[in-house]
Amino acid sequence: MKLPKSLRTIAATAAIVTMSAGSAIAEFPERTIELIHPWGPGNAMSVSQLIAKAMGEELGVDMPVISTPGAAGTKGQKTAMSRPADGYTVFDGYVAPLVLQPILGNADWTFSDFKPLNAAVSNAFAIGGRVDETRWSNFEEMMEYGRANPGELRYSSGSRNNLPHMVIAKVLQSYGVVAQNIPYTQDGNAVKDLKSGVLDFSFINVGNYIQDKPAFNIMLVLSELPGAKASYDGAPSIADLDIDLGLSGLAPMGWTWWIVHKDTPDDVTEKLRSAMSAAMQRPDVRGAIEKVGFVPLEWDHSQYEEVVGPVLDQLSAMGNALKWEEEELKKLN
Amino acid sequence: MLFESLLAGFQLFLTPLAIGLTFIGILIGLLVGAMPGLGPLMGIILLLPVAIGLPPVAAMGFLIAIFVGGSCGGSISAILLRIPGTPLAAATLFDGYPMAQKGRAADAIGIAISASAIGGLIGGVVLISASPLLAKFASGFAPPEYAMLAITGLFAIAIISGGSLIKGLISGCFGLLLATIGTDEFSTGYRFTFGTHHMLNGFHIVAVVVGLFAISEMVYQVIGNDLLKKPDIKVERPGFGSLLRTLRHWGNLIRSSAIGVFFGALPGAGGVISSFSAYAIAKSAAKEGEKYGEGAEGGVVATESANNATVGGTLVPSLALGIPGDASSAMLLGALLILGFVPGPILFEQEPEFVGGIFLVYMASNVFLLFAGILATPFFVYVLRIPKFYLIPIILILCSIGTFALQASVFDLMVMFGFGLVGILFRAANYPLAPIVIGIILGPILENNLRRALLISREGYWIFLDRPVSATLVCVNVLLVAGALYYACRNRKRFFTKQEV
Repeated sequence: MKLPKSLRTIAATAAIVTMSAGSAIAEFPERTIELIHPWGPGNAMSVSQLIAKAMGEELGVDMPVISTPGAAGTKGQKTAMSRPADGYTVFDGYVAPLVLQPILGNADWTFSDFKPLNAAVSNAFAIGGRVDETRWSNFEEMMEYGRANPGELRYSSGSRNNLPHMVIAKVLQSYGVVAQNIPYTQDGNAVKDLKSGVLDFSFINVGNYIQDKPAFNIMLVLSELPGAKASYDGAPSIADLDIDLGLSGLAPMGWTWWIVHKDTPDDVTEKLRSAMSAAMQRPDVRGAIEKVGFVPLEWDHSQYEEVVGPVLDQLSAMGNALKWEEEELKKLN
Repeated sequence: MLFESLLAGFQLFLTPLAIGLTFIGILIGLLVGAMPGLGPLMGIILLLPVAIGLPPVAAMGFLIAIFVGGSCGGSISAILLRIPGTPLAAATLFDGYPMAQKGRAADAIGIAISASAIGGLIGGVVLISASPLLAKFASGFAPPEYAMLAITGLFAIAIISGGSLIKGLISGCFGLLLATIGTDEFSTGYRFTFGTHHMLNGFHIVAVVVGLFAISEMVYQVIGNDLLKKPDIKVERPGFGSLLRTLRHWGNLIRSSAIGVFFGALPGAGGVISSFSAYAIAKSAAKEGEKYGEGAEGGVVATESANNATVGGTLVPSLALGIPGDASSAMLLGALLILGFVPGPILFEQEPEFVGGIFLVYMASNVFLLFAGILATPFFVYVLRIPKFYLIPIILILCSIGTFALQASVFDLMVMFGFGLVGILFRAANYPLAPIVIGIILGPILENNLRRALLISREGYWIFLDRPVSATLVCVNVLLVAGALYYACRNRKRFFTKQEV
């Protein structure tokens, strides 16, 4: 039997409406939730996979981690922002794309443009040299050498204009030392070139340090938190310096706070928050994160403004360090 | 120490779970490798969450086997369909596909699998016996050496360009230009991104390779008038004869494996460079009568032994120094850390039995690859009996799924189809496609290391001559340029002649 065209249209409309209504009352989540990770494969991605796996178990769906590297994390952030605000895309909100790139004028968002789920992990940095270095034995001596030989020191912060670069540039500026930053695609190659004598010093994360402790002379831990100092076996930290860098809390460290689009429905956001909170409290998850050299963070969504706000203020205040380094190097060339 | 470590490793490896998962890992690896767009990295990423819940040696066996199988699996689609399943197999289609066209598909796959397994085992022997030594050697490679080595690698373009050198160089330059797209690592400025965030990291190499080779090939197949014809291809019985055939190329096998281990041990170099370099050297050293590019067994032996030996080489800096050789080994390092083992010198000192277990699962992976691969060859070859009318849509769907899965990005699909069009145009004009891949891979290595070396240098370009290895590579490059110019003058006609692509 062939229905008239008008009846077929009505039937089709009714079917669509029924299906839409069905999806509207369906429980979130109905399908996989993607975590957009702003870096390439590596330790940070493995840590995000760990948390995503646990959070997915809490929600009853898979949470694949999508690696979207590029432009110091900006590509990942923009990719995540271009997705619908339905809770099916979670952003791995690392400090570089979330806070630092907007300060540097490379992005037009602020951290308060997003809804926080839960703090995830932090990763402390240190300035490290070789144990067999003969020109200096500690940070102060290296700074003295640097002042006497402007532009001679070669160091790496991994990529350029990232958080370690900004913090190291600030430290060097405070000591009046001009040094040349050498950007590397992979942090591991910078560490390799430090060990072989190509670089004079480099940023070292906890993961690098625990892999070959005897090879490094950790001269300055770039955090005043006691836990960070302990990760580097009690090496001197910025809290021990005579000068005040104006950095505290999470400001000089790498960290990620998982976030979602601001327009994500409240009930969906709440489900994601409780799932992530439960995942972050699991001892197996915390233990595995610590094994990689990262520190699981305790803060929940209600502390987002209170914790991230000061980071923005402190990093904004030291934003001129990169420019200072660039201008001083130009003067020497 | 080594013997004790291996002996202790046996206790960890000889469990049904570890052995079973290593075997399953090989099958998964072959599958993800053969599917255009996927590959060993994607296989490891997808299955890492599963692996970290397993006992350590079983977990690492599972992931390493995916790496080993995935590095070989791409050759299957390259041989059967002229589509490299992964960029690693882009050089395998030079001779693998012509072999299949001559009715020797099973032979070609058998040789590819045997060469992969033997290359992997050679890589494993080096991994077991010379890890610290090779790691120390690799540590001496700094930006000046990488820059000079990348220039040496570009000479491979001249060798693999076939008939027309000038067309090969144009293709290579096109690849180098494509490699400049994205964010400049040094100035952090954006280059040719046209205001879209999708291009901030350039084009994804896998989307480009799948587009260039797979999409263009499918269009060429559609243009042919045999879409509904059931191919009359005899499916040969599986056999280990291909292992013997591979061993006949023992010189090529050892040389190419050594090249693979060398490039694997250099963090950031990788399997694509090693397979193209091994092919170029094998072709240059070929005996009269060995027609490379027309189905020479030596071509398949060279590329496949090299890219699987690279896996063993890659594990050297990863395990001995804690520095990942490539993206896949970076994920393996992440897994190691999550499992509670810290890679680097400390691992060898504190966990010798676990290191022994890893060595054993790597060697076992290659042995399993040989058996599983050869026994499964008839199933692979059966693909050739499917009429193109059904096969082409299936391949296009697989290409699309694989490419989309890279970054869950529709833009990558557009890149894939866009480069499909580029591939069609290049093939129509008789320009080779492989040099584009070499250009894309070597471009960032050359540019970044050249600029990095000059930033490190306090005496400008002298840094390239101050360091012994770099100076040697400068000399090699100068000799290669002089030789190429001499050869070009003697064969001026060849610059402008047409060629088969």
